[in-house]
Amino acid sequence: MMWSALEKMPAPATTYERIVYKNPSEHHYMKVCLEFQDRGVGLNAAQFRQLLISALKDLFGEVDAALPLDILTYEEKTLSAILRICSSGLVKLWSSLTLLGSYKGKKCAFRVIQVSPFLLALSGNSRELVLD
Amino acid sequence: MVRFKHRYLLCEVVSDDPRCRLSLEDRVLGGLIRDTIARVHGTFGAASCSIGFAVRYLNAYTGIVLLRCRKEFYQLVCSALPFVTYLENKGHRYPCFLNTLHVGGTIRTCQKFLIRYNRRQLLILLQNCTDEGEREAIQKSVTRSCLLEERSDEEELSDNGGEEAAEAMQ
Repeated sequence: MMWSALEKMPAPATTYERIVYKNPSEHHYMKVCLEFQDRGVGLNAAQFRQLLISALKDLFGEVDAALPLDILTYEEKTLSAILRICSSGLVKLWSSLTLLGSYKGKKCAFRVIQVSPFLLALSGNSRELVLD
Repeated sequence: MVRFKHRYLLCEVVSDDPRCRLSLEDRVLGGLIRDTIARVHGTFGAASCSIGFAVRYLNAYTGIVLLRCRKEFYQLVCSALPFVTYLENKGHRYPCFLNTLHVGGTIRTCQKFLIRYNRRQLLILLQNCTDEGEREAIQKSVTRSCLLEERSDEEELSDNGGEEAAEAMQ
């Protein structure tokens, strides 16, 4: 009974619209950690941001030092942070973090722990998973 | 075919100060543009643009400069040109700016554009000039350039436009 009813119904006149997202997110999120060669060096959030911008400015100039970069969280004890950058600037930020060598004469290095276009993915890291 | 492709940027140095154009030198200008690219685009920009960078032609009377850069990085050079704000020579600073007139793939296309541009500039100068002696000189240059235009198919292209404008300036 239902089958014949469905056959008799005319097909609804709808217009189909296909939306293709090549990159679903316009921002990329990076979890980074700053390591110094000597212990006991502290930076507050403003100095950390200044360090990031000076790294970008060294390698890519004033135009790319003005990329919309945000520090979403920052922990002063572990010197780790979650950064947000627009997707077109991800490669530039990552390469300038890689090539940053020192802060005020002290040797340091950025360790990139996780990168993802979605912030939720940074909440869990399977490398740090502890199985009971 | 495998060859290095270049882009030639035809620019005009515009300044209020008349001494600015006379103190134009190719090495000074080249160094200034390289420093500006390093400031605006950083180490990466300076390194990538300076490989094929050269000042190919410079006319101190008209302030026309022809710059050469690699095709892959010509946009970095183009975007750094508005940041050139002064010209320094022997301790004197002259405020000026660079006006990009034409971007071409070869020197020949830039030269063709420059000849047409100079002819148009001569006509504009003719309208704006005040002195009678200057007016006669510019009218002579205009008639000469019209004759050369008719004969340009037979002759080789040479830099007549620049010379005429230079004479008109004097």
